[in-house]
Amino acid sequence: MSPKNGISRALVVGLVVVIIVVAAIVGVTITRRTTPTSTSTTTQISPVSTQSSTSSSIQTSTSVSPPPTNQSSLVVEEGEQPDSLDPAVTYETPGWEVVEQVYQGLVAPNGTSVTSYVGVLAQNWSVSPNGMTYTFYLRKGVHFSNGDPFNAYVEWFSIYRTLIMNQAPSFILGQNLAYTNGVNFTVNASTLNSINYFDPSPQNLSVMEYPYQSVQVVGPYEIVFHLGYGYNGYSPYNAFLATLTTPMAYAVDPAVVEANGGVVANQTNSWMFSNMVGTGFYMLKSWIPGQSITLVKNPNYWADNLSASQLNYAIQPAIINTITIYYKPTTARIADLKSGVAQMIEAPVQDYSTLEGIPGINVTKLPIAFGSSEDIYYLYMDQGFAPFQNILVREAVSYAIDYQGLIKDVLGGLGVQYIGPVPPGFPFYTQATAGLQPYQYNATKAAELLAQAGYRATLPNGTVINPNGQQFPSFNLLYTSDSTTETEAAQIIQAELNAIGIPATATPLTFQQYSGLMYTVGNSTQYPMGIAFYSEDYTASIDYVEAITENGYVSTSAYLNSTIMNWAVEAATSFNNQTIAQAFANITRAMYDQYILIWLFTPYFLAIHADDVTGMIPNPAGSGMGYFMFYNTVHYT
Amino acid sequence: MTTTQELTLFLLKRVASSIFALIGVFIIVFLVSHALSPDPARLWAGPKAKPSTIYAVEVRYHLNQPYPTQFYYFVKDYLTGNFGIDPLTGKSIAGEIGYYLPNTLELVLASLVIIVVLGVFLGYISAINFGGYRDAAIRVFYLASWATPTYLGAMLAVLGFATYLKLFPSGGMYSPTLTPPPKVTGIFVLDSLISGNWADFSSGIYHLTLPALTLAFLNFGIITRVARSSILEARWSPHVKSAAAKGLPMRSIRVRHILRNGLIDVNTLGAVMFGWLLSGTVVVEQIFGWPGIGQFAYSAIAADNYPVLIPVVLVFTVGVIIANLVADLLYSVLDPRIRLGGGR
Repeated sequence: MSPKNGISRALVVGLVVVIIVVAAIVGVTITRRTTPTSTSTTTQISPVSTQSSTSSSIQTSTSVSPPPTNQSSLVVEEGEQPDSLDPAVTYETPGWEVVEQVYQGLVAPNGTSVTSYVGVLAQNWSVSPNGMTYTFYLRKGVHFSNGDPFNAYVEWFSIYRTLIMNQAPSFILGQNLAYTNGVNFTVNASTLNSINYFDPSPQNLSVMEYPYQSVQVVGPYEIVFHLGYGYNGYSPYNAFLATLTTPMAYAVDPAVVEANGGVVANQTNSWMFSNMVGTGFYMLKSWIPGQSITLVKNPNYWADNLSASQLNYAIQPAIINTITIYYKPTTARIADLKSGVAQMIEAPVQDYSTLEGIPGINVTKLPIAFGSSEDIYYLYMDQGFAPFQNILVREAVSYAIDYQGLIKDVLGGLGVQYIGPVPPGFPFYTQATAGLQPYQYNATKAAELLAQAGYRATLPNGTVINPNGQQFPSFNLLYTSDSTTETEAAQIIQAELNAIGIPATATPLTFQQYSGLMYTVGNSTQYPMGIAFYSEDYTASIDYVEAITENGYVSTSAYLNSTIMNWAVEAATSFNNQTIAQAFANITRAMYDQYILIWLFTPYFLAIHADDVTGMIPNPAGSGMGYFMFYNTVHYT
Repeated sequence: MTTTQELTLFLLKRVASSIFALIGVFIIVFLVSHALSPDPARLWAGPKAKPSTIYAVEVRYHLNQPYPTQFYYFVKDYLTGNFGIDPLTGKSIAGEIGYYLPNTLELVLASLVIIVVLGVFLGYISAINFGGYRDAAIRVFYLASWATPTYLGAMLAVLGFATYLKLFPSGGMYSPTLTPPPKVTGIFVLDSLISGNWADFSSGIYHLTLPALTLAFLNFGIITRVARSSILEARWSPHVKSAAAKGLPMRSIRVRHILRNGLIDVNTLGAVMFGWLLSGTVVVEQIFGWPGIGQFAYSAIAADNYPVLIPVVLVFTVGVIIANLVADLLYSVLDPRIRLGGGR
């Protein structure tokens, strides 16, 4: 018996096994093949309106086109799964994206505008002349997907639930509203859990109708918000309607909450984390954690039978039957888009050229406001580090950086240099930055300023100036290694600073360590310089300005300046556009002249979808793929 | 000393050393999570946590107590299965691990079966054809697969078999439009089989095939290599030559004397590999959107979720320790020389 015979038998057995496996796979695959969809036209995306208005006028409807046929399903892919599906808890874009489809609030952005609003659960509303009181007249006939009715009591419950649960994003409402009036009235968790919201007793009504509280029920379909109880103090807030467009203000069913653990102060609700019962056009079909979320049309949607004239884009019934959102890495998302498995994906701007070359795919570089809503990047210089107390040094840093080079090398040219803290593309940006040029790159001037500040410096040609000056002390330049953008930018900035004689060492931290440090109030001696960014909580310029000028965190150089804070208060509380613009301009100028933060760049944001997918209404406030609010208008051509 | 006594002694020694390893793991995890951070409560509560949340974390995990007290509660909590509540979801962390871990087990077990079958088969063919072109081809094949970075291999699998050939779905554990079977083991394919839900079973197998094959392809090389060496060693050993000289049938020699002895190392390596795969599937789970414990850990890291991360790390390490223990035990049973050698 030769070895050869034995080998042949083994190979034969192996071959048979392989054939059986392949046959089985092919069999399963053939039975699962689906017909690909056809492609044809492109989507029109309008630029964001920069119209500035704080009007309280009532928006009724925008035209609603008849739904095309064959709208069975849409597959969407993105990177991160939701942090929670509870509207009072979620604080990340993927969570808001899902919540915005299933729950509804009183108002929503008016189409592409970031300064005007349409009614959703509110039919209309009015604002008192002093801006302290907002009265909402609610729609009748609205109900949750389980049939429970929506009314003013339910909205009262929903707002107080968010405030009492007191999770990280609750500050969005907490700026102006509170669960106590600080004197003689407090709503607590047991109050919320004890009220009958569908048939309130006189005792229940006495609580909800009490006038000296943040949210007062006037009638079953009328509710008043009294501003001035929140931590902003007794003052109006011109971005209040913007805060109401966020999930924090969305209506939840008190009966559902009560049946699943009720409201507990300062705690999340585990049932609400992964289950949803809302008034919206979609319902949650499944959440397979780590894999996907599937939404299906709400068969019991309250607006199904409204006429076209009664509808607006924010309430019109959904067209696509099933939306599945998968969570995958970027490369897998692009591959799926290419193969037709996914019709819409989220991808970073660095992938623009790859995406542009895929046939049948529409890639749109959205107006810069969309990028701003995602991230604006800047460099902080902590003045707890003595050299940075010298304005000449800060100015030298501003001249040492090649901003256009950064945009080209880090973002492939797909970004803009800007002057903050009002983000580019947002209302009042033009007025705030009028007459100012973004910081310029001039290595010679940077070196001269450094020498003037008393330090030894090096010109671009290698000549050392002020050779007897002090050696600039070395320090760490912080960035997070989790961000490709920051990693690349940090290396470039380090080299540019080193070139003029500032021995910065780019030092990475993981995002958890980085964010833990960035949000620490006060100074950082270990990382006196770093790359920081800000993303919107709600779409309003004041959100950025308040965060950057008032918080005193490491990420903002622990910057606290009472004059600037007063201007920020003026910008937040005025209803006069000229006053707001002037306040923003003052802040911008003061920070610009003092080189408090070195404004770096804002990347563009991409809208990516198959050619035959259309109907998205882009708005920086939207979390759908990061650029639109609602999937109900999305459909195939 | 009888064989049974030897085996018992060996087992006790191995269990004792595993316990020491576990204590070491507890100490390291405690130091990293509690002692190395200047303000662990703030870190655990997340970057944007409110003071009330930070305080609640401090109290729940006794972070305001001296380190020895913290360590006492740390060990007590985790040994009694009190993993606490996930601050992000409000759910029991033990329950969450109970959801994610079986999903990873499903993937790991499926790929381990493929790894062992494929690895041994190719190792055998290679050894029998020592020095021949088949041997060379197999060596190139397993070295290439072994040297392939996980990320690259998984992406190529998705691109090749899902994107272009469309033979498999590009991700997920089952179709999201299906209703999952009642939970018995937590392993989707097994539960759908137990409940007789063929739609779920078919969907589960369909989704499992590509990630399991990918994981197997990237890891079978070490088994092939070890199987090849062991079989070669067994093939040239005196007892095989003696069996051949006695005129035993070649088939019997190959199966009973060569393959059997050659598989001792493979068995133990398989057990070790199980532990390694358990904690090493993060990349494959990410790319295939597989809702396993690796992805859960990754999300916890991204969200600064220390209360979740700590028990997950402990589960990983306990998994590896148990796998190593099983490997040692298997080795001692299959190869008596090990325990006779004093139970190394």
